[in-house]
Amino acid sequence: MSDIPAARVLPSKESTLFKELLSLYETRQLKKGLKTADQILKKFPKHGETTCMKGLVLTHMGRREEGVELVRKGVQLDLSSHICWHVYGLIHKGEKNYREALKCYTQALRYDKENLNILRDAAQLQTQLRIYDGLVETRYTLLKIRPAMRQHWVALAVAYHLNGNLTEAKKVLEHYELTLKNVPDYDVEHSETMLYHVRLLEDLGEFTEALAMLDVNAKSRAIVDRTAIMEIRARLLAKLGSDEAEHAWRVLVEHNPDCYEHYRGYLSNLGLSLDPTDPSAPQALTILAEFATQLPRATAPRRLALTIASGSSDDFRVLVEPYLLSGLRKGVPSLFSDVKGLYKEEAKQRVIEEVVLAARDTFNVEPPASNVEPTSYLWTLYFLAQHHSYLGRHAEALAVLDTALNHTPTLPELHMFKGRVLKRAGDPLGGARCLEDARFLDGQDRFLNTKSAKYRLRGGMVEEASALLGLFTKKDAPSPGADLEDMQSLFYLVEEADAHNRNGNFGPALKKYMAINKVFDDFEDDQYDFHGYSLRKFTVNIYLNLLTWEDRLRSHPAYVKAALSATRIFVAVHDDPSIGTAATGNGGQLTSAQKKAKQKAKKAAQKLQDDAKKLAASHANHDDKGLEPTPKDDDPDGTKLLTCTDPLERAANLLKPLTTLAETNIEVWLAIYDVAVRRKKYLQASKSLARAAALDAEHPELHVRRVEFRQTVTSLPELPQVVGPILTESLSKLLPDEVSLEAFNSQYLQRHATSAPAILAVAKAMVKLQAPRDQVEDTLFTALEAQVTLDIKTALAILAFLGTIKSPREGEFRTRCDEKFVLATVFKSPAELAELRQLAITAPQIVPDKVEDIP
Amino acid sequence: MNIRPVRVDDLPGMQACNLQNLPENYTMKYYLYHAMTWPSLSYVAEDPKGRIVGYILAKMDEEGGEEAEPHGHVTSISILRSYRRLGLAKKLMVQSQEAMATIYRASYVSLHVRKSNRAALGLYRDTLGFTVQDIEKKYYADGEDAYAMRLSLKS
Repeated sequence: MSDIPAARVLPSKESTLFKELLSLYETRQLKKGLKTADQILKKFPKHGETTCMKGLVLTHMGRREEGVELVRKGVQLDLSSHICWHVYGLIHKGEKNYREALKCYTQALRYDKENLNILRDAAQLQTQLRIYDGLVETRYTLLKIRPAMRQHWVALAVAYHLNGNLTEAKKVLEHYELTLKNVPDYDVEHSETMLYHVRLLEDLGEFTEALAMLDVNAKSRAIVDRTAIMEIRARLLAKLGSDEAEHAWRVLVEHNPDCYEHYRGYLSNLGLSLDPTDPSAPQALTILAEFATQLPRATAPRRLALTIASGSSDDFRVLVEPYLLSGLRKGVPSLFSDVKGLYKEEAKQRVIEEVVLAARDTFNVEPPASNVEPTSYLWTLYFLAQHHSYLGRHAEALAVLDTALNHTPTLPELHMFKGRVLKRAGDPLGGARCLEDARFLDGQDRFLNTKSAKYRLRGGMVEEASALLGLFTKKDAPSPGADLEDMQSLFYLVEEADAHNRNGNFGPALKKYMAINKVFDDFEDDQYDFHGYSLRKFTVNIYLNLLTWEDRLRSHPAYVKAALSATRIFVAVHDDPSIGTAATGNGGQLTSAQKKAKQKAKKAAQKLQDDAKKLAASHANHDDKGLEPTPKDDDPDGTKLLTCTDPLERAANLLKPLTTLAETNIEVWLAIYDVAVRRKKYLQASKSLARAAALDAEHPELHVRRVEFRQTVTSLPELPQVVGPILTESLSKLLPDEVSLEAFNSQYLQRHATSAPAILAVAKAMVKLQAPRDQVEDTLFTALEAQVTLDIKTALAILAFLGTIKSPREGEFRTRCDEKFVLATVFKSPAELAELRQLAITAPQIVPDKVEDIP
Repeated sequence: MNIRPVRVDDLPGMQACNLQNLPENYTMKYYLYHAMTWPSLSYVAEDPKGRIVGYILAKMDEEGGEEAEPHGHVTSISILRSYRRLGLAKKLMVQSQEAMATIYRASYVSLHVRKSNRAALGLYRDTLGFTVQDIEKKYYADGEDAYAMRLSLKS
């Protein structure tokens, strides 16, 4: 130990104090720790390790800035101390800056190669960062230092596995198992380890060995998870083509007769398909019928049979009739959503309609037959309404619902579905009204509450929705939204963000989209502790699945949606910064609702800060605040986000993970193009359009961008060096050189003259080509012609586009749509809408006096 | 509806189902903790589109130290309103209990329910066979009492 730098060596008194300081920190006696550190520093102000420890203690005490500054200083004072680097690593880790943390730990390990704590932390960081070759080394070192620790063996195997070396992982496990002595019976940890070993063999394709290992350990009760044994066994036997496989699958079916995979496994093992057009279908049906008789309480075999039976044969009717009648008699609310998958076949659709219409007539007799509950009639009407609505017959659906509601006004499901029909027909406010009627029938039910709030958000009533949500969120939360955000409610965040977005409140919308991104950041951070925990618990199989899930986390629809919508806003403020400055409110253009929302957001933020202060005060005695910085929100309504100086870079960051996680979504490539072309990254832009074209060459939004991209590139004063030729080549693939943009646009219109989204795209391109406005308008108005299929969503998009080109015919288009979509209210005038909005939130006129009798 | 053991990628669906239905909510970390510690005890019910419409989130109760009888605990169970009357709660519970008994040799399973939640109480008592063991004062964050209920797993 002669090479310890002189500046680190402390005299014996201070050396003892320093050891004390370390143990005071370990036990989080922070105040005493601080005193001790100061005592040393008084005599040795340049002692790096003490300086670092003092910084660490201060950070824990909530004096973050000061603390971190000291840690940095301490590291500078003693660059070869593992303690200094370790402390610096802890600080970075607390800030979730894993990359920097690992750098520090690597430094620390240079000066203390066999420090168990540092090695363990480094391994966790390497896993978090997916640096698997480094992980293998670290785990190997740990095992070498402490081979007696069981988890070190399994951890090394896992590291090899993650690094793609399954053979080596297997060897480590084999070695490990040889070292084991006296494993107690029913040892769950050992059982999990053996299950991992079996999986390893299966992944290596060594099915015979895997099966043998499974059977031996199941028999000796080393593996105790019976369900897992049965599932793996059936799968392995099937892969081996063994005669025993059929029995193994049967055992599984009997063990959990409502698991579809078990039936699929059983049938596919016999070479039978679940595809109704497959010639083996009758055989599969016979087997399912046997299972249905043998397992009378299971729904799965009956439901699967409905998929396989051919709609044009009598089989289907014979099977579907009792299935539907039993559901209608029991009043199963999900019956329609259960069978609607069968509607792909028109013949099945017809049979179902016939059966249910007949049931309606049987159930609707006066006086009711003795064996018929009056509710059966009601549930039949409920089914019929869903049936009509699904087939686009809104008026018929509403008529059936009115009959049902006259019969029994107290069944929430009827109101809920009426609301859904109205929403689909373009009347979100009427929908919100119905959902409120449903909620009123059972105020204790959070499901009804959530749905009603969702419909209010769909109707643009953000404040009113919040009032409802608050009935079930924590009373001490700063706002209902804050609680839902804390609880990571993606549903709420998406719906509220979208509502703000539709209302043109881009700041709050962006704020919520970014909150969704934050939820996924948190999900990503959540895995960190399990890199250590799961190995201590030996739950390796599920842990490996956790890592796979984390790697694909942002393929979740809520993330994709948030990233795309936020990108559109970022792109819009880049193109027109006045959108951002308008929202700051100094223009006095805020509506009263916006003002109210703003004030409320301010209040909520204030409360959040007050609460944080209170929390800090109450923690005065228990003064450890941890190493994670407390989040501070200085932008409650998203104004700063909206006026940020780097909107395109932020959008690019949001989109980045989607290039591999949502690569079949054309919207993703269009969004990446939108950002790239504005950042003058033309090669990336052209590649994105090529990816989009490969997915759907005729997509209307792609058409607009082809035009825009040619315009952009040809108007460049000179092509970028190096990539210039590639760019020219890819551009001509997107749009042939010899075709003029005008011709390209009109050819596209000719190909898609009956598609409203295509008409809109052509109009957008015309504006880019500087066509006279009246021509653009004429084109857009063709969307109203009888031969064109126009839905409400596209009609609204056209209306919005007329607004952006300041067309004097905007009002005319609105009126024409109002006439065309009879049930829709979205095309009403602002005055009419205000009235409808009021109607949607007032309490129902007739409140039933007995909600107990809901059938 | 399909009844099967939980997978990691089900957890967001489980969390969404819980938030839509129940007043007791948890962050993802807590769901992960259950799955990573007792990977075979939780089950889900999914609709034909793969959406989670019901779940049971369960664990082994480690209170009482090594001496205590091992027993399972239902942290949360819930079925979306529109998927009721299919017997899903019972089916989920049966699978979870079987796993508690065979893997961990649990002798009983416990759960808590709000005193005011009559619908849930009915489900646990009448459909699932639980009995009220005790009343825990102010068990919930808002001060409400809970019934502590139990079901024996010894046949």
